[in-house]
Amino acid sequence: MELDTVPQPALEQLDRVQGADLLVGLLSSEGNGRGTAAAAVVRQALEAFPQPPPRTVLLLDDSSGSPRLAEEQSLPVLFCRLANAGVPTASPQAIVTAYQTVFGISRRIGARACSVIASELQTVTPMWIDRLVRPVLDMGFDLVAPRYARHRWEGLINRAILAPLNRALYGRAIQNPLGPDFGLSGNLMKSILEDLPGPRAASSGRSVPSVVSTAMRGNFQICEAQLGPRAQPPADWMNLSSLLAQILGPVFLDMERNAAVWQRVRDTQIVPAFGGSDQAPEESGAVDAGRLIDSFQLGARNLQDIWALALPPTAMLEIRKLARVPPEQFRIQDDVWASIVYDFALAHRVRTINRDHLLRSFTPLYLGWVASYALEMAGKDPLEVEPRLELLARAYEAGKPYLVSRWRWPDRFNP
Amino acid sequence: MWEQIQQALSQSTTRVLSGVAGLLPGIAALILALLISIVVARLAAGLVRRSLLRFHFDERVFDWGYPSVAEWAPGKSPTLLAVRVVFWTIIFIGFAIGFSAFDLTLTSALVLRFFEYLPHVVAAIVVLALGGLIARFAARSVLIEAVNMNLQYARLLSVGVRWLIMVLAVAMALEHLRIGGGIIRLAFGILFGGIVLALALAVGLGSKELVSRSLEREASRAAEQSEEPVRHL
Repeated sequence: MELDTVPQPALEQLDRVQGADLLVGLLSSEGNGRGTAAAAVVRQALEAFPQPPPRTVLLLDDSSGSPRLAEEQSLPVLFCRLANAGVPTASPQAIVTAYQTVFGISRRIGARACSVIASELQTVTPMWIDRLVRPVLDMGFDLVAPRYARHRWEGLINRAILAPLNRALYGRAIQNPLGPDFGLSGNLMKSILEDLPGPRAASSGRSVPSVVSTAMRGNFQICEAQLGPRAQPPADWMNLSSLLAQILGPVFLDMERNAAVWQRVRDTQIVPAFGGSDQAPEESGAVDAGRLIDSFQLGARNLQDIWALALPPTAMLEIRKLARVPPEQFRIQDDVWASIVYDFALAHRVRTINRDHLLRSFTPLYLGWVASYALEMAGKDPLEVEPRLELLARAYEAGKPYLVSRWRWPDRFNP
Repeated sequence: MWEQIQQALSQSTTRVLSGVAGLLPGIAALILALLISIVVARLAAGLVRRSLLRFHFDERVFDWGYPSVAEWAPGKSPTLLAVRVVFWTIIFIGFAIGFSAFDLTLTSALVLRFFEYLPHVVAAIVVLALGGLIARFAARSVLIEAVNMNLQYARLLSVGVRWLIMVLAVAMALEHLRIGGGIIRLAFGILFGGIVLALALAVGLGSKELVSRSLEREASRAAEQSEEPVRHL
């Protein structure tokens, strides 16, 4: 199923490259027609490996031409359609399909390790490939998750929700649980492919398991690698609600699937990190917190009936208070924010309202958090960002017993 | 003369009392049929509820791709909906049986006409129910999207959408019930067309400057946002 997008002739050619140690998949659409540049980056990375370097196959997204196997810089390069996963507007489903194709090809050629890079090719350096692959090939790790050098306004959904939620649930502090650039071992890829739902999963609303949650559930060895800055397209504010729905939906579904695992996790473990810590790039421009507060207040005025279906009275009271404070005093406390995220996860599970409506109605709340964060961090030193986020993560951890009790006894909650 | 009056009075009294006495068995049969149907309906409803709960019907409805059924079902439970449908269907059948126990000639004609009209009633109920569901769903969708687009009149839009759909559903239901006929169609056409025309005129003429200022504001907001350093992912 994972190789449905690869035609049979291409697969037959792939079978001639059995025994490869490593598959490097570049999902960026800029890989189209730039096989030479991509191969050069990979070749340079391989030269840093102890000799002999691993036998490597390069996989590039090329939806414009017919699938084919070629050779660039002495590397076998497979060009095939990976569902345009690298374009900035690619849907999460397209990215998931691309991942599945990469893992499927990796398994077919018997690779011991695989590196999937979805970031734009202009950002990718040989160091990326080295840091994503070496821990898997040489040190026995199963998953290498990325760490990026970010300025304070980057990765806000990750900072507000994904990273602290993942840490509280699974006890591992991973900066980017959703990647998108990973290094994986053959065993982990096999586990992910076995865990894939059937063909009717999309229609029944079941999501594909995430790479990180599968690794945590299976007690695979996880580490992080510092990759440096990563180029990202500008935020598409008009489609923010769609983005939140597309990201949070699978995350909450993953929580349901792995409930038996995360409910038993008590402590947070240190995840080994390689590559040191790069200095965060300079940010330019300021964040208009006033506009974000306006969006929050508009949501508070109009969506209270919908929020009340998911949030308890205490949270609704906090929201009403926040909607009335002057902008300069607008702050969402960490424990309030964590409990709001947990309440939405619970409402998503018990389906108090249509799930798409629930996730889209979360947008003004998220914008409120961004406003609160922007007001708090404006003018602060970049070194103060991580300690601040550490406090947020601790709030998520402190609120976990609340999540567990409501998860186990949802009928006792009656907003 | 007085004897003739007495005789006429006596005959009419006898006729009326005979008629009433003739209805009594029918009334008793109707009450008995209703009581029996209530008992049967309760038993059947209990059986259906147990079977559906054992089958995890609510979860399966969602898995089969019909999550909206849970949305509008009473108590958010398709099982409860199915149980109530079974219960009231049996009650209705019992009522029909009891009702047909009355005078055969009259009740047969009435029952025949009633059953001829029944599909229209059912269709009207279905149209109203569906219209209500769709109105509520659409209103909520419009409200959320309008808020996310920072439209200050989000709630007005949402209410407008809900009422438009409900007006349409009511007009369709009345059409099915054959109530009003051409008057309803005309009234609906005038109302609906008038609202749409008024909106078009308001946007096209009266609110021209307001709309263009609003669009300019949104365009400049979009330009400012693109210069911001925020990256959500």
